[in-house]
Amino acid sequence: MTRLQWLGLAAVSCLFAVGTSAQAAGDKANGRKLIYTCAGCHGVPGYTNAYPQYPVPKLAGQNEQYIISALHEYKSGDRTHPTMMAQAQSLSEQNIEDIAAYLSSLKPAQ
Amino acid sequence: MKRALALLSFGTALAFLASTPLLAEGNPATGKTKAAACFACHGADGNAIDPQYPRLAGQYNEYIQQALHEYKDGRRNNPIMKGMVATLSDQDIEDIAAYFSSLPSKLDTLKGHTQGD
Repeated sequence: MTRLQWLGLAAVSCLFAVGTSAQAAGDKANGRKLIYTCAGCHGVPGYTNAYPQYPVPKLAGQNEQYIISALHEYKSGDRTHPTMMAQAQSLSEQNIEDIAAYLSSLKPAQ
Repeated sequence: MKRALALLSFGTALAFLASTPLLAEGNPATGKTKAAACFACHGADGNAIDPQYPRLAGQYNEYIQQALHEYKDGRRNNPIMKGMVATLSDQDIEDIAAYFSSLPSKLDTLKGHTQGD
């Protein structure tokens, strides 16, 4: 292989790497819009799930990949919670990434 | 008077019952010892650095208990967590949840974080 071909290959690889990483990042602004529904339960401090009773988790500031995994698990049925399964079903892959990007960027309100 | 006293004591008993939390409180100090195996992924301070694992510091006590029970009985199907919780007793779960929920938190509810807030 000539040096020029090597250079070309390297350049294409770089483009590919940049392209994929940009695709993986969620859109925080859209995430902020999408979590309007979530706030009905997750935005009320101390709000409890019914049967059984326990508080719904705090999500602001949670880690990004974990939120993505959790929503995938509700979607696939690896986590069984009727409300969350229904909510996750309505989300696209992009929606899930946007939500995770926004939630993980939040800091606790002072 | 007798009836009033009876009513009053009944009321006091009810108030006491209502004030006891649904799930008993664990012991955070014991929980810290029992949680040693959790630290590799979730951090000793409960703030996982690797974003694939959840932050547990300051999460609601009863929510952590609920999640651990769900991993144990299969309502949450996660191979790593299933192995971790298999040997935990109900008391262990209460203690571990008491420990992580007592730590300084980077978590919050969504209050004030939605469009229009």
